[in-house]
Amino acid sequence: MSTVQTDDRTTVVPMLDCSGITMSFGGIPVLKGITFSLEPGTVTALAGENGAGKSTLMKIASGQYRPDSGQVQVRGQHLPSGNTQAAYALGVAIVPQELASIPEMMVYENLFIGRELKNRFGVLDRAAMIEAAKGYLKEFGLDTDPKTRMKALPVGVRQIIEIIKATHRGARVLLLDEPTSAIAAREVARLVGIVRSLRDQGVAILFTTHKMEEIRAMADRVVVLRDGKLVSDTPLADITDDGIVTAMIGRELDQLFPERPDAGTDTVLEVDNLVIAAGAEPVSFTVKRGEILGLAGLVGAGRTELLECIYGIRKPVSGTVTVSGTTLKPGAPLSSIARNLAIVPEDRKGAGAVLSLSVLDNATLPRIAAFSKFGILSGRKRREAIGTVMKSMRLKSNGLDQHLDHLSGGNQQKVVFGRWLTGEVDALLLDEPTRGVDIGARSEIYRIITELSSAGMAVVMASSDMPEILSLSHRAFVMRELSVVGELDRAQLDSPTVQDSIFRLASGQNAAPVKDTTP
Amino acid sequence: MNTIIEAVPALQRRDLKEIASGFLIRHIMVVVMLLIVAFFAYRSARFATPDNLTNILIAAAPFALIALGQTLVILTGGIDLSVGSVMAASAMAAAWTAKNAGDNPMLPLLAAVVTGLLAGSINGLIVSKFEVPPFITTLGMLTLASGIAYVIGNGAPISGLPASFGSYANTQILGLTLPVVLMIVAILVLAFVMKRTNYGLRVYAIGGNRLAAEIAGVRSRNILFSVYAISGVLAGLSGLMLASRVITGAPNLGQGYELDAIAAVVIGGASLMGGRGTVWGTAIGLLLIQTINNGLDLLLVPAYWQNVIKGVIIVAAVGVDVWAARRGSR
Repeated sequence: MSTVQTDDRTTVVPMLDCSGITMSFGGIPVLKGITFSLEPGTVTALAGENGAGKSTLMKIASGQYRPDSGQVQVRGQHLPSGNTQAAYALGVAIVPQELASIPEMMVYENLFIGRELKNRFGVLDRAAMIEAAKGYLKEFGLDTDPKTRMKALPVGVRQIIEIIKATHRGARVLLLDEPTSAIAAREVARLVGIVRSLRDQGVAILFTTHKMEEIRAMADRVVVLRDGKLVSDTPLADITDDGIVTAMIGRELDQLFPERPDAGTDTVLEVDNLVIAAGAEPVSFTVKRGEILGLAGLVGAGRTELLECIYGIRKPVSGTVTVSGTTLKPGAPLSSIARNLAIVPEDRKGAGAVLSLSVLDNATLPRIAAFSKFGILSGRKRREAIGTVMKSMRLKSNGLDQHLDHLSGGNQQKVVFGRWLTGEVDALLLDEPTRGVDIGARSEIYRIITELSSAGMAVVMASSDMPEILSLSHRAFVMRELSVVGELDRAQLDSPTVQDSIFRLASGQNAAPVKDTTP
Repeated sequence: MNTIIEAVPALQRRDLKEIASGFLIRHIMVVVMLLIVAFFAYRSARFATPDNLTNILIAAAPFALIALGQTLVILTGGIDLSVGSVMAASAMAAAWTAKNAGDNPMLPLLAAVVTGLLAGSINGLIVSKFEVPPFITTLGMLTLASGIAYVIGNGAPISGLPASFGSYANTQILGLTLPVVLMIVAILVLAFVMKRTNYGLRVYAIGGNRLAAEIAGVRSRNILFSVYAISGVLAGLSGLMLASRVITGAPNLGQGYELDAIAAVVIGGASLMGGRGTVWGTAIGLLLIQTINNGLDLLLVPAYWQNVIKGVIIVAAVGVDVWAARRGSR
């Protein structure tokens, strides 16, 4: 067996070979001697928790960062760093998590950026580019018009166009950073098909993901990082799901969801005839002390809008919100905070945290009055209070003065969460609380949510993650078109057909859900 | 409850060498400043004399106030292009008051402050309430305030002012002139405000991420309004000091000062995108520019060449800072 492998090594030159990669940011080691290689015509999943070093490794493998030591070779040639052109020339392309397309330009213009076709007078040959673009799109199963503006397309399609852009320039190594984090299930199926056909053409593919199903659907091999070390590198067939999770978090994950204590009896949050937008049905409900109300629905169903109206980021058309008996002033977050209402928004970078500020300052903002006298911030008091909370959140940071942009997504989320807990919270609004959070930190967040609710908070949680809704909530609403279209009690949530009924309500169809057609 | 993640690791140990180079990189502008000072001190015997250093401070004072106001505006992600003209309008309003209201030093001061506050408040209102981009808003105010300055003087400077009009710039406290004292006080006060108060944190927060700050309970419109109003008041005071030095109100006073103020802020390490920068950085940037002006004068470099050299140094200084920031964040 081992001799066969040695033979393979000598005959097949790896497409991409990383050896002894180390890297640290501001004195904190992020990668500690990573060695692995990608063979042609293979798909490798790069798994690991947030902060394990996946994105950094991706950036080094694509030549964006220079490692502190170690080197990257592409088909035996050294990959220089800080030079994306050189990486392209060697055939390495990366499709980042936040897509680098130009929204105002058309599809074909995006495809040919940097290597535009010109006619013999040196003028852009748009007709030829459009024609070629049509061919590429067709090859990848898209019937999009090349003259569509990029911004008019769904994220999933834009992503495939980014992949086309990378591969039609002759990329032999394709790095996909979290390719499925922002796209719908149907688009995932298409992506899987494209990844497979590229593999069959001999491209070496490396992708990161949080989702086990995607590792199973796409990868031939899985490489697991933990705390900057490579802890497992095996063919997918040789490792179980549990084995991957254990490798990722360093111990067994016995239970993702904690037990759900019973809800209390006093009403804390009362939403009365709230109309989110003109034309929507009014929404009324109450949430009791210790109760978790789930909000299910498809993307764009209005869950985020409902939470924003309750909290006051968005002004409702009409209706009132009452917390512990006091009616809130609509559209005024400050008055909501004063009534002990808290929110953890969906878009962590855009709405949750100020990335340019430190952990301490981010956590100070919502409770600033409690940490100051005559407008002057206290030094020790806030440091103590925030330090205690962040410790209980098990925040991994280089002290409270570390800026948020140097923290991983999961740790940023802990700050966005924890900043409320230095004071009292009666009602907590959660919007996709575990988006972009890895499995280990996710169970931490579930533990926190359950603990907070059993301590007496009323929780409203919008989520697209079905197990989250089914396991954590005492009751769930299904939303569609900015209105609540169904309510499920605990008994219904436990029924085996619940996913089906939620889907029907959410999509407004009476038909059974269409199965994803994975080629 | 089960513990899933290991406990927080202790603070990572860093070796001394890294701390030392980290310090140099973080304070790269101080290093650049010291190099420039050393160069001038070596080339000119007059440079490093107490008299000359006082001259540098006196020259820096009118820029200091507008650069400090500009720092707050830039921290919110905005820009105030109108400060030079607001200086002129305020100086003219003060001079007109002094000419017509007799020998009372309080009235011209009031006139200058009110003019500055008014101009700044209009900027602030338009930017915060009507959400017109700050660049456009303050570009309009630049033209408007300059027009007002000429209207007040009927197109001519106002001279023949009472002697008390000279007191703002020429009164000495502890051997320093009033503008220099005001500059030092303003730097200290604003450094404290930005570092240690609710207001300062809120300014940084809305510059870093306005939506996130609003969700965390910051009333961003009020804060935005306030930074332009403060910038206006400081421009008003600065205009008065400058006019007082020559006991004349000139409608073209302060012209182009906004650019030196913005340069000082940017040299000080602030990001024009907002959220990053410090009052100390601006103070260093300010002294850097004034030191270069002064040193080149002493070396008898012709005025036009001075501008060429200054332009190169400004871009080079920021280039070094960007390079250092990139090194430092790695």
